[in-house]
Amino acid sequence: MLSWLESTALAVWVGESPSIWALPTILTLHTTGMAVLVGVSWMLDLRLLGVGRGVPLSAFRWVFPLAGIGLVVNLLTGALLFIKSATTWGTSIPFLIKMLFVIASIVTLVPLRSYVVGGDAEQPVVGGNARLLAVASILAWTGAVTAGRLLAYVMP
Amino acid sequence: MNVAQLHLLLNHIPTVGSVIALGVLLLALARRNEHLTHAGLEVLFVIAVLTLPAYVTGVAAQQQLRERSVVASDAIRIHHDAALVGFTVTEVAGFLAWVALWQTRRRGRAARGLVSAVIVVLFVALALMGRAATFGGEIRHPEIRADGAALALSAVEGATAGDPDRSMTSSISDVATNSRWAWPAAEAVHFLGLSLSFGVLLAVNLRILGVMRQIPFADVHRLLPWGMLGFGANLITGMFFFIGQPGQYTGSAPFFWKVVFLMIAGANFLYLTVSGKGWTGTDRGDGIFDATVADKAMAIVSIFSWFAVLYAGRMLPFLGRAF
Repeated sequence: MLSWLESTALAVWVGESPSIWALPTILTLHTTGMAVLVGVSWMLDLRLLGVGRGVPLSAFRWVFPLAGIGLVVNLLTGALLFIKSATTWGTSIPFLIKMLFVIASIVTLVPLRSYVVGGDAEQPVVGGNARLLAVASILAWTGAVTAGRLLAYVMP
Repeated sequence: MNVAQLHLLLNHIPTVGSVIALGVLLLALARRNEHLTHAGLEVLFVIAVLTLPAYVTGVAAQQQLRERSVVASDAIRIHHDAALVGFTVTEVAGFLAWVALWQTRRRGRAARGLVSAVIVVLFVALALMGRAATFGGEIRHPEIRADGAALALSAVEGATAGDPDRSMTSSISDVATNSRWAWPAAEAVHFLGLSLSFGVLLAVNLRILGVMRQIPFADVHRLLPWGMLGFGANLITGMFFFIGQPGQYTGSAPFFWKVVFLMIAGANFLYLTVSGKGWTGTDRGDGIFDATVADKAMAIVSIFSWFAVLYAGRMLPFLGRAF
């Protein structure tokens, strides 16, 4: 399965095309998507932890569509980068660690979204659970970005 | 025009600019004039931003001269070390100036003693930059070190000149090339800082463009120091890469454009910090801030610049030679 993925025309194009639109652009889009997704997630986390207390939480609804855009961009570009070397990535512990961090980060966004968008968003005090989620989100994103960047160095 | 010429042009900014900033700040102190203080801090911030290309082009010129033996490489190395110290202190002064501007914007005045601290640090920066400039002049003008006692170069020559491995810049370069973890760790921090800066600037500029209009601008504006934190982390790690492997960057077109767009982004950051009506924390009551066309143009330029900085940075290995 992994080696089939790697042998598809698309995977070969990503890996071997000398075009600036292949690997370089895909990597750059992946970094841009990361900046948007992680950046806006952190903005929300900071607010939940007490920065800019005066801002009503409902004002943070804009975070989710933007994070969604970043996420879609990164799922697509991430998939392209994955199939390029599917056999290497699929069996690599550091890569799987990164995936765990990414999944954990996205999972924290789901309850945060229902907390902010749905229901009691106008409550002045952020509850303990939401604060805990915010801390988890900051840490998970930090882990995901760090692991992702280190992949370039620990992988052959 | 090549980078060496650019360096000869830009190298006057840290010294001449600092003299001007210092003069304005001292005048403000003597006249007890808040507006003048504000202007002095703004000038200093701009000088600190422009000192980055002054430094970067200097290293580029050094790289170009490395192959030629006509110019004393010892003299250049000493100039480089001195310039790095001057650059660092200038950036600290610029950062403190920004904090003072920020506090003035948010609370109406800077913390007690902060402006004095800025003046002291700026004075030190100016002295260090003057020293770096003197060493720089001596590279091409041996006549200015004609008389014995004033021999600035020979004062440090014994300490470092004979031994290139003991210079500060080569020690940094050593760590960058030989440590297994330093470079990857700095890369990880660089990406974290990037996300933080990007998130903040995106939020603030989108608010100017009319997203989340229902909340007071001041509340989004409050996030700016977090952007500064991310940028600070990236300036430090970025300089580590640059000093560690200058050859990767100095001849590189994407790196050139990255620095150019950083200058534009820096100008925008200053604008966001100091300018506009209804941007302060004090007038929260009517805080629904409607941006003017100029504000919106600025916001678009800023978002574009940050994308460009990121694009040029990520493309360094592909359009340039970096890894």
